[in-house]
Amino acid sequence: MPLALPDLQRAFAAYLRGHDRPDLEGAVVGDRIGAAARLRVHRNHVRQSLAAVLAATFPTVQALVGEDFFRGLAHAFIAESPPQGPVLSEYGADFPAFVAAWPAAQSLPYLADVARLDWALNLAFHAPAGPRLSAADLAGVPMAELPALRLAPAPGTALLVSPWPIDRIWRASQPSAAAAEEGVKLESGGVALLVLRQPDDAGFAVLSSGEKAMVAALLAGITLGEAAEAAGRDGAGFDLATTFARLLALQAFAAVQ
Amino acid sequence: MRAVAGIGLRAPHLAAIARDRPATGFLEIHAENHLAASPAADALGRLRDDYALSVHAVGLSLGSADGLDGVHLARVAALVRRLEPALLSDHLSWSVQGGRYFNDLLPLPYTEEALAVVARNLHQAQEAFGRPLAIENPACYLAFAGPTLSEPEFLSELVRRTGCRLLLDINNIVVTAHNLGLDPQAWLDGLPGEAIVQYHLAGHAVNDADGETILIDDHGSPVGEEAWALFDAALLRFGPRPALVEWDTDLPPLEVLLAEAEKAGQALARREGHAARAA
Repeated sequence: MPLALPDLQRAFAAYLRGHDRPDLEGAVVGDRIGAAARLRVHRNHVRQSLAAVLAATFPTVQALVGEDFFRGLAHAFIAESPPQGPVLSEYGADFPAFVAAWPAAQSLPYLADVARLDWALNLAFHAPAGPRLSAADLAGVPMAELPALRLAPAPGTALLVSPWPIDRIWRASQPSAAAAEEGVKLESGGVALLVLRQPDDAGFAVLSSGEKAMVAALLAGITLGEAAEAAGRDGAGFDLATTFARLLALQAFAAVQ
Repeated sequence: MRAVAGIGLRAPHLAAIARDRPATGFLEIHAENHLAASPAADALGRLRDDYALSVHAVGLSLGSADGLDGVHLARVAALVRRLEPALLSDHLSWSVQGGRYFNDLLPLPYTEEALAVVARNLHQAQEAFGRPLAIENPACYLAFAGPTLSEPEFLSELVRRTGCRLLLDINNIVVTAHNLGLDPQAWLDGLPGEAIVQYHLAGHAVNDADGETILIDDHGSPVGEEAWALFDAALLRFGPRPALVEWDTDLPPLEVLLAEAEKAGQALARREGHAARAA
């Protein structure tokens, strides 16, 4: 008895996620090549192509753990969380959390934060271009009105805070890394990164603790005046004018809300 | 559009194409790679004035019993409105079940039930695009048991019911015929030639399954001899149409890809010449 199309596709999807489906195998013609071997062409393609997508989106994770380990990690993730749509640059939002919980990765406690950095860079790379707020845009605003402004972040702008030196780990993992950049000392401490879309790429800037507090407040939609107060509390030697000029130069914001 | 040969626009070639604007019949993109913003999407906006475009979708999942993903359909429709491509296509396959996307062109049983599903989905897609879609014959690695139509019969019936066009992938016919034990020339017999609007050409890999050879449509090598011969046979039977050389894995330097497309262009021109002399 042939399977009805909805049942056939349900069985096929389960098979692709790694389940045994004798009902599916029974629905496929086996001859000089058996039904199981024919079906494996599809399962292998789904796994390999999606693992390649994840490797392209999370290159630093792969560089750190090696291709074999990454493949095992990717295959497990693909079986648990196949993409929810065909735009594959949007696949992998849940991968950092999966990495954090992956038992075999527990000896690399910074790995999940590196995955978050890769993901934030991917989002920034695929963020739309568009207007960026510059110092000139604010030149006409009277000084007295500046503290009440709220700023809209540019698409792709994200703040990433980690207890690990993920900026140095990222640099040391680049194919072009100089020998001097290798051998990152994990005890050198955490870092706050501002991830940004750049004209033909995505990148990040390292923030001081005052800058971090200010960016966190601005991204939360708090006014410039309140954000400056928060930054002044958090950052030793925080200088508002210098910080604000730097954030505008980095093109972190799109507009005044 | 004229029966010329084109190439796929792939990220590693983007800078060279944007800089040198090489002569080629058209540029093909995969719709799903241009829905999110990116430097490549920005560059395409600048290329569209200089080249005819082919938008080839890989993820509409026209064979899904669940129906189409309306959000995705709307995104592709917006891209089509923006780019106004000369050619627009997707595949006779499915890739979505239960809201999950399996990155493959999965096979359909060629039953009356599947025909009704694909026709319904195609109607919806063509409504959204405001124009007919060309449907590509997939590379098949398996067939479903039970009484079914042949693939050309299924495609012909889709044309009749929906007014869709056909994209004849020559390499996929070679692959399918080998893997399922069919005669590729006979496969061509059952098709409505006037519905064919485009050809695809590509290379394939030769793998082992159960100790037997199975051909895999991997777009990772030059077009094979058998595909060139079948291309000539199709041109003789159906006439010239725009033809795309697909090369997606182990991408060669741009010059190699352009030379391969030039070969396809010469085959088209030979056939145009014969037709002109015969007239």
